[in-house]
Amino acid sequence: MTTDTLPAVDDVHLRARIDRSLRFPLLFFFTSAAGWLCLSSLLGFVSALTLNVPELFDGLPYLQYGRLYPIHLNALVYGWAMQAGFGVALWLMARLSRNVLRNPVTLVVAGHVWNLVVSVGLLSILFGWGTSMPWLDFHKGICPVLLISYISIVIWIVGMFASRSEKSAFVSQLYILASVFWFPWIYLTANGFIHQDGGAAVMKSAVNSWYISNMIYMVLAPIALGASYYIVPKVTGRPVFSYALANIGFWSLVLFTGWTGMSRYMGGPIPAWLPTVGGAASIFLLIPALAVVYNQVKTMEGKLAWANYSPALRFAFFGSIAFLVGVALNVMISTLPVGKTLQLTQAQGGIDLVAIYGFFTMTMFGAIYFIVPRIVGCEWPNGQMIRFHFWFSAYGVGAIAAFMIFAGLAQGHVIANYTEEFITAVERGKPYLAALAIGWFLIGLSNLSFIAQLGLMVIRRGRRDDEGPTLIHKKPEDYFTHELVTEKAAQA
Amino acid sequence: MNSLKPFLILLALAFVMPWLVLIVYPSAKLKSIVTEVAYAKEDDTKDAVFPSGRPYLVSGARVYASNGCAYCHTQMIRPTYAGADRWRSGWSGREEDGLARETLPFDYVGEKYAYLGVQRNGPDLSNVGHRIQDAKWHYDHLYNPRKVVAGSIMPAFANLFTTQPVVGQVSELAVDVVDRGGSRYEVVPTGDAKALVGYLLGMKKDQKVPKSVAAK
Repeated sequence: MTTDTLPAVDDVHLRARIDRSLRFPLLFFFTSAAGWLCLSSLLGFVSALTLNVPELFDGLPYLQYGRLYPIHLNALVYGWAMQAGFGVALWLMARLSRNVLRNPVTLVVAGHVWNLVVSVGLLSILFGWGTSMPWLDFHKGICPVLLISYISIVIWIVGMFASRSEKSAFVSQLYILASVFWFPWIYLTANGFIHQDGGAAVMKSAVNSWYISNMIYMVLAPIALGASYYIVPKVTGRPVFSYALANIGFWSLVLFTGWTGMSRYMGGPIPAWLPTVGGAASIFLLIPALAVVYNQVKTMEGKLAWANYSPALRFAFFGSIAFLVGVALNVMISTLPVGKTLQLTQAQGGIDLVAIYGFFTMTMFGAIYFIVPRIVGCEWPNGQMIRFHFWFSAYGVGAIAAFMIFAGLAQGHVIANYTEEFITAVERGKPYLAALAIGWFLIGLSNLSFIAQLGLMVIRRGRRDDEGPTLIHKKPEDYFTHELVTEKAAQA
Repeated sequence: MNSLKPFLILLALAFVMPWLVLIVYPSAKLKSIVTEVAYAKEDDTKDAVFPSGRPYLVSGARVYASNGCAYCHTQMIRPTYAGADRWRSGWSGREEDGLARETLPFDYVGEKYAYLGVQRNGPDLSNVGHRIQDAKWHYDHLYNPRKVVAGSIMPAFANLFTTQPVVGQVSELAVDVVDRGGSRYEVVPTGDAKALVGYLLGMKKDQKVPKSVAAK
């Protein structure tokens, strides 16, 4: 990893060439992802609103919670998360494998196909072809196309790794490979099992819950962790504190994630040992979470305050902490005493959101703030807007997760008290669900500022002075900016 | 970890274990239990009725899925160790006949997918067929939930209804009658609504546990 010395000139030229080769595909993935994110935030807001004002869209058929919510969720996962992940994974893999992307055009075409497939999938939900299977809501005919499009995108990532000149591999590369290897497997498994004729109907729901958990922890999480392991050392100019710990974190994630997920149906009509195994496995996920957070804190030791200045570092660090929080909350809801109250309420969605938004999305923001200036050759226009983006996102996701968990507690306690009318559970949950709408509103605002800045960067209207990277606050004396300054000199 | 092959082999090993144990094995096992049960039907007494033959099981589930019902309603009753579902009046089946119980895998025989659900913004529907036996109630409720259940947050499903001129008497199933330019129109359920209501009326997951299953 980088040290505090200036990189060799050859290195700088190679990096500049890599970044140039990736410019169009990455900007395509990032902007379309950001677009989906804005749509998803809007629908998160609207669907939360319909829980409070159910007659909101009475005149408009199809705009019911049962369709808006899955569209919001699938836009978040397949529109935003997967595409942001493609961009970040491509860049990390190219830089770490020191390979130039050979065929940007094919990648952009594959990206268009992906967006088209997601659009058709979301429309299929809107017009009643949805499946009501969380995270697998698209009409089943869409699955093969989505998978082919996925493979035609990630094949370039694997290709760059396979043809790398150095034979060693950094932990970020392992994370990315694990992610791109696991997605086709779980996606095929889930769709194959669920859409087959025959088979036990209850196992299909169990497989669905397994799929969600694996999507979060083994498809999305590794890309964010890979990005963190790159960003934190780069920005602080320090090597990873303990490479052994990084490896332990990686392999424990790989070993245990596959077992998680079915704890979502504790007491469900599936063999009781399935949720038990899932609950136990989710406890073991604390190992990778603790390993990552400890490793990052130690890497940043003495420079922890830099998270106040570097947008990438701040978002990534927030993300890693949220990873630990998300895993810990998931452990809690997977245990019997907590789960019997909180499962089958809003709480599970809130806990998932800590992982998808608090962890994955925030880390992706950090990575995008890090990557985009390097591929377009100018700096983010406004540090204050980045600060706004951070705080509104952080408070937004914090509020949403907290209110969904509180709503879950309120609902769960009434349901547990079986003499109370069920409608009381609805009434008790309602104030929190109103607050949920406010949370999505905050997030929507923050994402508007994000997409506006990203748009300016795409048309290369960023800052071009010699001040160095755009920071959240005015930079401290010892802030490390050598790498970027020299890279820009090489690009010029 | 210097080359791709051993890394991928290790990765595959880590993935294939849970895949076999959590998915392939229990799926095969449950499938065989379900088939055996269906086969042993003759041996059991008449009360071991299977829900698989009930009408609208597939077409109704399709409408249930299209409208995202599963995002607010569950179809699973947890045993007493995992919540109080069993004790909630009307949720777990015919208490008076001693048939109330948690849901079991064979309750979902014949369904393409078990809509166990994710959260309870609305009540559990496992035994709604026992709780509400009046189709008209369901039509009124789907058309205007708050007219039937005060404080409900269920959306109105106008897309499941169609307006037609009243010919002769107002249809029995009409949920509303409106005057437009002097002529009378009635709002009646579409085929989808009928399938959905048929599906809900048949939702009875409290059949007596068949001997062949109870023995296991």
